[in-house]
Amino acid sequence: MAVREARTMAVAVPTTRDDLVVALGRATTDTRIIAGGTDLVRSLRVPGDEPDLLISLGGLRGLSYVRLDGATVRVGATTTFTELQHDPVLREHGLCLALAASTIGSAQIRNVGTVGGNIANASPCADSAPALVALGADVTTVDGAGHTATRPLSEVVLGPYHTSLACDEAIVEFSFPALGPTQRTAFTKIGSRTAVTVARLTCAIVARFDAASGILEEVRVGLGAVGAVAFRVPEVEEALRGQRADAEAAALLAEGCVRAIGRSIPDRPTLPYKQHAAVGLAYDTWNALGLCPPCAPAAHDDRPEEVA
Amino acid sequence: MKMSLTVNGTRHEVDVRPTARLIDVLRDELGLTGTKEGCGEGECGACTVLVDGKAVASCLMLALQACGKEVTTVEGLAHGGELSLLQRQFIAHGAVQCGFCTPGMLMSAQALLMENPTPSADEIRTALAGNLCRCTGYSAIIAAIRAASGREADRADGSA
Repeated sequence: MAVREARTMAVAVPTTRDDLVVALGRATTDTRIIAGGTDLVRSLRVPGDEPDLLISLGGLRGLSYVRLDGATVRVGATTTFTELQHDPVLREHGLCLALAASTIGSAQIRNVGTVGGNIANASPCADSAPALVALGADVTTVDGAGHTATRPLSEVVLGPYHTSLACDEAIVEFSFPALGPTQRTAFTKIGSRTAVTVARLTCAIVARFDAASGILEEVRVGLGAVGAVAFRVPEVEEALRGQRADAEAAALLAEGCVRAIGRSIPDRPTLPYKQHAAVGLAYDTWNALGLCPPCAPAAHDDRPEEVA
Repeated sequence: MKMSLTVNGTRHEVDVRPTARLIDVLRDELGLTGTKEGCGEGECGACTVLVDGKAVASCLMLALQACGKEVTTVEGLAHGGELSLLQRQFIAHGAVQCGFCTPGMLMSAQALLMENPTPSADEIRTALAGNLCRCTGYSAIIAAIRAASGREADRADGSA
């Protein structure tokens, strides 16, 4: 591991997990951990805001992977969005995360940005967050004492740019139950343009479906960019469990998402827009699941004030 | 902080602050001013270079992140004083106006063609989604890249 003092800032570029622990052991609240850097580099340029120690994860080749471990998908923290987008294991067992990765920024951003950085940065509009939420992902970290801990994503991301990660704690892995052949998943996003855009609203769905009966056995819905953090929508998930996968289910999904957004950002000026957009996005996500012939909202569904 | 960077096949030793971005080192330390800084936020793509063959925004990457990797800038496209086919097609198709976005466009296109030698027009648009041009529009740029890929052989080598 290279540790070089430069003026008042030290830099650590660990190449092994043991080196990472040593570097984390030196961390203070002024330390920054850099993975891809697509969010962090801009803030590092703020005068007077330089960290005392910069720990680069770029040398840790062993943190970039997607693998199937029994019935669990494991994703290394420094796996880039480009790698997630194309990974065959992820496309088979966690497609919504691959789809979310494909909508992030540009090729230039996806080639460098990492899933660990996306979550540690804790932007409310982080594209990977609703997908990881819907997949029921856990986060594994390591700290400066060498301790490894695993906890749900919802216990890591606490608010806008605010996490429960200690200053000497780095995300090393995400894990979630592998999706099987009876499960479908989709991810959709609305931004101000089709590429290189900050999400205005994102939706990820994971649905277990009995093809013989046409019944939804379990549905998980994650919404992003409509609150402090990405969140599940238990009300919708309950309503859809046991429902036939048809246009009525799509309407339940849309109405439930609109209500959830109303609860999440009741005072936000963008609430009317987001509720209006959520109807279309919910239908787009539902249709992407491919569980029934494509359906569209009835005219009255398009007026958020009637279902808010 | 002393670091070693390999740019366009040449190894350079530089001594810069740890938070120096890759674009800072390329332009200010190595004099490779072909790489442009537009927005400084990864939105415009003018600063695009290749790192290990992948297009990256050099304004959002620290130089230390590129240590031990192969960096290619627009200056690395020409060989022996002769422009690459891609560069010649940009000229032939009038895919350049003010020219500020051109190095980034070329590097994104180069990364695409290295990975996918015969991209479709949609694949080209996706690869260039992170590159903005405020002058000439994108049609000529896409046509130039298609020509360089051999998709439109009749337009090869300058006969636009």
